[in-house]
This record gives sequence, C-alpha cells and structure tokens, in this order.
Amino acid sequence: MSLRGHHIVTTAVVQTARFLVVRFGTILCALPSQGVRGVLTPAEAGTGSQVTSVGITYQDIDLASRLGVTLDLANPDMRVVLYSNGQTNGAVRVEAVIGMIEVDREECRPLPAHFQHEERTWISGTTMFKDQLVLILTPEWVLGELGEVVTAGTGPRSLSAS
Amino acid sequence: MLRTAHKHDHAVSAKRSWNVVVFSVGGKKLAARTEDVGGIAPWVEPLPVPSRTPFVGAMLKRDKDVMPVYDLGERLSRHPEGDTLLCLVARHVDGPMAICIDGVIPSLHNVDVAQILPSKRLDLETLGSFSEEGQDIEIVALQRLGRNRQDHVGS
Repeated sequence: MSLRGHHIVTTAVVQTARFLVVRFGTILCALPSQGVRGVLTPAEAGTGSQVTSVGITYQDIDLASRLGVTLDLANPDMRVVLYSNGQTNGAVRVEAVIGMIEVDREECRPLPAHFQHEERTWISGTTMFKDQLVLILTPEWVLGELGEVVTAGTGPRSLSAS
Repeated sequence: MLRTAHKHDHAVSAKRSWNVVVFSVGGKKLAARTEDVGGIAPWVEPLPVPSRTPFVGAMLKRDKDVMPVYDLGERLSRHPEGDTLLCLVARHVDGPMAICIDGVIPSLHNVDVAQILPSKRLDLETLGSFSEEGQDIEIVALQRLGRNRQDHVGS
C-alpha cells in the first residue's frame, strides 16, 4: 500500500510459454499448451474421421500432410492429440509426443522476416528443445481455420540426398 | 592540398576493384562481394518449414543463430554437389540467410571494376558479371536475394 493509501497495482507479465512438443517425421512442432485437451493412443482414438472424448467430438486433422510428412502408421509412439481453441475441435495424429515444455518468452523467436507470405500466420516462431529447432504453430492453423493447404519445403540437403 | 588529392586518388583507386568470393552451386560458378558473405561453414540438416515464400522453405540452426535457408540451387535448377556440402551465410537485408553450396572450398578474387559488366540475366538478383578463364561468373546480390530486382555496378 502506498503512503496515500492506494493499493499499488503491479502488472504480472507472463515470462514463460508452455507448449506440447510433438514430432512429425524429423520435424518437431510446438503446440501452445492452452489448446491441448488430451492425448490418446490410436487404439483409444479409433479409426474414424472423428474422435469423441468426454462428450466432445474432435474432427480428424491431417496436419502431417500440411507439413509435408507421411506418418509412419506402424510407429508404436504414434498418438492423437485432442486440440481445441474453444470454437474448433481437432484430433491431430502425430508420430510421437515428446512432452510438455515451458520456455522463457525470450527463447521464442519470431519467424525470420525472409518468410513473407501466409506462413507468417501459420507459424508464430521457433524455439529450442534439447538443442533442436522447434516450429511454434498457431492454433488457428493447426485447427485448419485458415483454410490453406501447403506442403513444407525441402531443404537442399534433402534434395541432394534424394 | 596535395595530400588531400593523394588521399582522394587512393580512395578512388580502392573502389576500382571488388573483392569477391567465388563459389559454386551444382557446378555453376557464382560470386558474391566479400562484405555480403557472413561466413562459410559445413552444411547441416535444415528443418523444413511450410512456406509460400519462393525458395525460402527451411531453417537451420548454426551455433546460437537460427536462420532461414534460401534454396539457390532450386532457383538455378541445380543440385549442390559434393560429399560434404557447405553453408554460405549471406548478409541479407532482412538478416543472415543460409545458402547450400557445393563442397568445393570458395576462393577469394580481386576483380577490377572495369571487368564487371551489367548482367544479362533478369531471373536472378545480380550486381553484374565478370569473365574468368572464358567463363562468365555472375556476382549475386546476396543482400537482396529473393527481392527480384537488378542492381548495377557503380553504386
């Protein structure tokens, strides 16, 4: 309390961000944690075009193909992430769930300015996990609300290796 | 005045040549001004990024830096060659940018400005070209790569 009797108001700044890190092929992606509603095994999720959990229906979302990755369906680490922004509910099949991470906001870098088109609304930036680069995806793009269909580029090494 | 004039002459003569780094992509020799090159390092596996920006579809981590990859090979319809490819870091106006080049170690050249001719090609940002051993070598404008404009010698 100040000398005049007013309460001193301090603004709490959130210094960290939480993400669920998942893997598609060799690509690590970070999903903002506030949208994560659950993680199921493929057996629990079933094979239909939608997943129902705790009375909520989640439409199947093929995020892997938008990232240019073909999922290894035989991978025993495969999981289905139930994701929602309150309006749209999606079931995202991932090759593995790496885990929940909490990083300082200063460790989250914006997408470099060289990326000039719609991808700026798909990917909010990057962060690091165990010395590996991780793409931070926007919930709207994850849930297919932006409507774009695109395939991830392949790096020169990938081209030369093929 | 004489001293001033001498200094002026020296400054003019210093501008009469460019130091360039000559490298190759898919066997095609290219050059870049040394001040536009941030370094040469071994190539590391980039992270593919979904993107609609032409030729910018990946990122890589180099030490503590994260930078986009510009696929110059794809733009030139060539595949980088060599068992161990190299990474040329371009000092782009938007920030450092990685370019995959052939595994041949780049070399430094000093080129007289009089030998640099305006480039004939319009499909690549260049500062001009020069001939060496009968081969035309384009000087890539690394700072503006991807911005689709031509610059000319004399600036």
